Amino acid sequence: MNDEKFFSRMNRKIRDFPSNFRIATLGAWRGRERGLAVIAGVFLASLVITTVLAYGVGLSQLFLAESLETEPFDAKIEFKKAPTYESDGWTNNTTTLMETCDELTLNVEITDCTVILGRQGIHGGGFFNEDFVVAQPLEMRSISSSTNELWNNVSFDYPELENSGPPISSMRGIRLLGPEAFDGELADRLGEQIIFGLGNWSTADEVENNRGVFLPSNIASEAQANVGDELDEVTFAYVIDRKAGGALQGDWDCEGTIDSGDNGYAYCRMNMTLTNLTIMGIYEPWQFGNPTLAPNPIFTTWTALDELDKQKLIDNDHMYLGVTIDRALLPTSSTDAASEWVEDLGMQIESQNYTSQNIELFYFDIIGGTITFLEIFLGLVQAFDYIIMIPIVVLSLSVLIYGLVLSLEQRRREIAIHRVIGATSNGLQGMVLLELAVMSTFAWIAGYVLAIAVVPLVLSSVGFMAFESLENVEVNPVLGLGSTIITAAATLGLALLFGRSRSKEFIELEIEEGVKKVREVSKPKRWLHWLMFIIGAIAATDTWLEMNGSEDGLNSNWFIEGLLGLFGPFLLWIGGALLLGRIGAKGPKIMQLFLGKSPLLKDVKRGLKGSGSTESINRLSVIMLLTLSIVTLAAVQGYTGTLVDEYTASATVGSDLQITTEQPSNFSEVQNILNEVYGEELLISATTITSIALETEDGDSFQTWVILNGTRGVLDWTEQSLPGKNIDTALESYEGLTFSAGESAAYILDIWGSGRKGGDDRGDELLSSSDIRSENLTFTWTDIDFDFSGIDEEIENETTPEFGFEQLQFLLESYSESMEIDLSNLDLQNADLSNRDLSGVDFSGTNLSGANLSNSTLTNSLFGDTNLDNVNFKDSNLSNAIIFNSIGPNFILNSDFTNANLEGSFGLFNLSFSDLTNATCPNGAVTNTSSCDELMIEPSIETLPPSFTELLFTDASFSFEVMTTEYNQSLRYIGVHEFIPGIPTTTMADTLVIGETSWRALVGDDTANNFSANTWIIKIDTVQGEELEAFRANLDADSRISSAMDWSSKHSEVERSGGLIFGTQGLLSLQFVVASIAAVASAFVFLSLVLNQRKRELAVLQAIGASPNQIIRLVLFEILSIVVVSMFLGILLGMALALSFNGLFSVFGFIFGIFGGSETIIDRNLVWPWFELALVSLTVFVAVVVALLSTTRKALKSDLSTVLKGE
Amino acid sequence: MLEINDLHRGFGTGSNRIEVLKGIDLKMKRGELVALMGPSGCGKSTLLNIIGGLLAAEKGNIKLEERNYGIKGPSSVVDVRRHKVGWIFQDFHLLEHLTALDNVAMALEISGTPTKEAEKKAKQALIRVGLGDRMTHLPEQLSGGQQQRVAIARAIAGERPLLLADEPTGNLDISTGKDVLQIFKDLCHTDKDPISILMVTHDPELASKADRMLLLKDGVTAASDIREAWGLEGGEEE
Repeated sequence: MNDEKFFSRMNRKIRDFPSNFRIATLGAWRGRERGLAVIAGVFLASLVITTVLAYGVGLSQLFLAESLETEPFDAKIEFKKAPTYESDGWTNNTTTLMETCDELTLNVEITDCTVILGRQGIHGGGFFNEDFVVAQPLEMRSISSSTNELWNNVSFDYPELENSGPPISSMRGIRLLGPEAFDGELADRLGEQIIFGLGNWSTADEVENNRGVFLPSNIASEAQANVGDELDEVTFAYVIDRKAGGALQGDWDCEGTIDSGDNGYAYCRMNMTLTNLTIMGIYEPWQFGNPTLAPNPIFTTWTALDELDKQKLIDNDHMYLGVTIDRALLPTSSTDAASEWVEDLGMQIESQNYTSQNIELFYFDIIGGTITFLEIFLGLVQAFDYIIMIPIVVLSLSVLIYGLVLSLEQRRREIAIHRVIGATSNGLQGMVLLELAVMSTFAWIAGYVLAIAVVPLVLSSVGFMAFESLENVEVNPVLGLGSTIITAAATLGLALLFGRSRSKEFIELEIEEGVKKVREVSKPKRWLHWLMFIIGAIAATDTWLEMNGSEDGLNSNWFIEGLLGLFGPFLLWIGGALLLGRIGAKGPKIMQLFLGKSPLLKDVKRGLKGSGSTESINRLSVIMLLTLSIVTLAAVQGYTGTLVDEYTASATVGSDLQITTEQPSNFSEVQNILNEVYGEELLISATTITSIALETEDGDSFQTWVILNGTRGVLDWTEQSLPGKNIDTALESYEGLTFSAGESAAYILDIWGSGRKGGDDRGDELLSSSDIRSENLTFTWTDIDFDFSGIDEEIENETTPEFGFEQLQFLLESYSESMEIDLSNLDLQNADLSNRDLSGVDFSGTNLSGANLSNSTLTNSLFGDTNLDNVNFKDSNLSNAIIFNSIGPNFILNSDFTNANLEGSFGLFNLSFSDLTNATCPNGAVTNTSSCDELMIEPSIETLPPSFTELLFTDASFSFEVMTTEYNQSLRYIGVHEFIPGIPTTTMADTLVIGETSWRALVGDDTANNFSANTWIIKIDTVQGEELEAFRANLDADSRISSAMDWSSKHSEVERSGGLIFGTQGLLSLQFVVASIAAVASAFVFLSLVLNQRKRELAVLQAIGASPNQIIRLVLFEILSIVVVSMFLGILLGMALALSFNGLFSVFGFIFGIFGGSETIIDRNLVWPWFELALVSLTVFVAVVVALLSTTRKALKSDLSTVLKGE
Repeated sequence: MLEINDLHRGFGTGSNRIEVLKGIDLKMKRGELVALMGPSGCGKSTLLNIIGGLLAAEKGNIKLEERNYGIKGPSSVVDVRRHKVGWIFQDFHLLEHLTALDNVAMALEISGTPTKEAEKKAKQALIRVGLGDRMTHLPEQLSGGQQQRVAIARAIAGERPLLLADEPTGNLDISTGKDVLQIFKDLCHTDKDPISILMVTHDPELASKADRMLLLKDGVTAASDIREAWGLEGGEEE
């Protein structure tokens, strides 16, 4: 029975739906004015929420796409099983393999495929599986060329590999590509990296005819090789057998050479040689990504091999099919979905056999691994990006709710009247809700569609309100069903739920109360608003104090600090808007103070009495406050972020370009190199920043940077870098006999600026000579000169068959005698020897404890019985150095080897008590902890560093004397510096900075005039952007230049991962735009609602004699006052909010510093983009005036008699 | 004082067209309290709205103290509403956020009276309707009768010669209604500057108290004095 009832009811509902829907649509259309608020609210909320979610999707796509750029191949398709002659399902016939490729490309997912001879088959497992590390690439062995002897010295060791993935091989690989790699998708992807002007990715025929080879730029640079060079022989090794266990096995019958890898396997390899090849292109290496294929190999074609060799390689499993897939088909709703898709594709490919030979394939996916890797980092990025979108989501939801309240409020009477005439509660609610549903659905769809369209633009942002098209990256952010439901629930759902409870409330009201025009409004919780505001204000004050030099601000507890940083901004925003909204609503009263007496208001002033007391006016004010504060926040933080990114790039590079040359060079030499590489005369200005060691009278030694004259136009100075607020005056001050100090240096020197004496003891001030804080200090520079007095007697060296400790000691003695510079048996405790070339120096018996050797070159130096405790070896080069104690291992205590290079260093020493962060261990591995293995090398002649052997076997050695001369100079202190553009900022706090005059006074004009340097910072106005990046790549490939960086690449890098978190700029731009639109739209919508409510009042005024002009003046003044005052307050609130968001950025900056390893050196000093703010305010103002005029005019035109009748 | 000739007004177009006023002729003297009666929808309010300058007639003329209008739109007859006609509505139509005094003074100020004088006149008007002690009250703090008296004060403060009252007692109880009518009578029958009142009402009792009763039927004035038609005594007092 019940069922029957239910079904009949449902039946009726379904039957009635079309007509109900039609009526609701009609009702929605007729009530579009009051519905406008709902539509605007739902639209905005839908737009924002969809954008945020779609942005997340787009972000992961972009991230994925960018990461995939590190490997042109998307999958490695191999034989299902390792080929043996007993098994089937494989072939060593390249024609059949090429046919397999053809069959594979019949799948829509696969866009290109070629047969490649390279890494062996993996045949199973995944990323972290043992199989993965066993399969070996074709390892490069040597290149020889009769015209270029430098090839003999080129090493194909690739030690970076050890740090970038599982221990597969530490040699550079070679890939022999099939003809298909030279056309289509593969050619596009591979050819992209060819450096402009250095050949090109040619056609298959050309490559085959010329036996072409393509080299990574660093290899080409090492050999100073050029496109067109002929290579006589290219030798590589392939694996013919392997054994687990890793140890060398005596009873192994191996035709080739045996070596053991870090992966626990020993390999038997054979060499194979290609002859008469031609270099056809030089490419810029890809960044390390997925380790499945040996990165940045030598590329050539397997047509250069004869059939037999090809078969050998295939038989030994060195064959795979390199394929590209249509990346646009990858599902992008989530990384999980992408992984699944790839997995399905793999299964589909593996499920069948290919060609008449029934080839069985195994699909090893490369993209999937990348996806897994991305998930964690992406999660963090998204969390941050979602958090900064909270205000705009809240804003859109509050517009939605306010809009709903206003629009439903206008239906209160209607509902009550319907009840009087006998409508049922359910029927009434249904009527209201259906109408609401029609409007909201329309708005939701509109917002959703627009958001999806807008997201690619947001993603392409390269700075605040600056967008650049996404090159080579296809972003197609579409939300999955789940996310779509979320957007619907958060907008449509909320509107309907809220509408339901509101309309229910009306229905439950006493009819009489419902019909009444005024309704008691429940008192808002003012105490709560105050509480939120006060907590937010505390957070903002705390951030402000910290930005202005206070160590801890108001509170030093990190947990409370974190909570304040996270929640403070939001509490300040909402509490502030609700409280200030009351002031905003009093706008007419405030503005009357200024304009009350003017003829503008004389006759209508009385009408303003008591205005602003209504709820709708208050809401208008709150909405204006909310939107304008977000506009301000987004603009301020956006512009600040953009500038911080630019400053960071400038501070890192120094100017447009920074190059380090192989040989010390002067300006004209640098100019020549640049002109040659560029191919035409370039107009450049350049500078170098040298450093010397200065010692105070107290014996404290400081690294001192020298700013040469004329750097103003070269370096990208920022106000933050030098003392004071003005760069020009600061640089002028450096032209005298002056110096500035970093904060820590100021502390050691006990001069003003370190903050050790409290708040006044620090600051960004340029001290004038009359300032008592500007002290004069005397510094000493020590000139070290060497006197080569002559050649000592010859040393006979014999390779003794029994090479042991004694022999080694003998050799070391000989070695020490042969060394170029003797700094043995000296007390160099705490000496500053930073940034010097001390290669080949004998430090035997010297006490170096506490010395500063940072950034020094110590290659081949000898540290026999040297005290190396507490030494600063940061960034120093200790390769092939010899560290030896005659009485046992040298336990080096508490020394700092951060970023130091110890590769090839030799001897008996223990590093485990020192800091080895990012140092290169003696075995070539880069370590992140203090975990270089304790080193104890059995002395044998093979393990000697080459320089050691070389020197031992030369027949001459030198003796010389070290001569030191001290020069003193008194310098005046001018304040605290932060950094010099182009100089690593990490140690700047410990250093001094002087100008050229002071430098010349110390080192003398001779030294200064003949000065040459390795590192040059260059300004090139004519080459910018992508051209600059290409130019940099060319420079990098040039043999005379060891490294180069350019502003443009650095800037992109900073934008993507550095200064601000990935994508934040885009979101801030989005916030700015949406909040601006919301400001204009809500002004429009709320005004028409407010005026609609006041239609009757305006009619009464007209009935008692007001002219249209008077009405317009009255309304315009009242509403504009509210809007103007609210906008003003909103901007103020936004400024406070921007300030307090700095706290949030620092919390996240800290987290990203830990995970991302990047840090911002530039202070996040807020920039106030007044022009943009004024523009938005003006636009809102104009929009409000237009809205007011049009709605008031409409109100004036309405039939007075009808309005007054209350119909 | 008021002379209406051949006033026409209809609503709608085509087949939906209804002619409401089909040629109204009407005259009123100064100091006359006229009750306008007739069945619902006969055009009483329309007539009132046209006279009061809230609606334009399609044809005909109104002459009110030398001012000729009738087919001019509301925005062309601001002066009529300011200086010639005062309005009293069934549901008072006071400005809710203004006090009694402000409500009255506002009407004067927008008509160009300087603030001080406006306040003085407003006070006098309020005292005249017996609200001397309620000047600073907001409408919601006043009873219906008091609110209607504020409305009357607002209408008379500007010394307008004609008051138009659309069901002035419709929202009031009987005794309050009587009070209001008494005020009307007092206003009309004073020696100093008497004003005329044209009052739409459905209440025959109230209408019978007027000096003259007009019946509007089928778009024309069916009788210029219903009492005469009904054979009642009285008629014009002057």
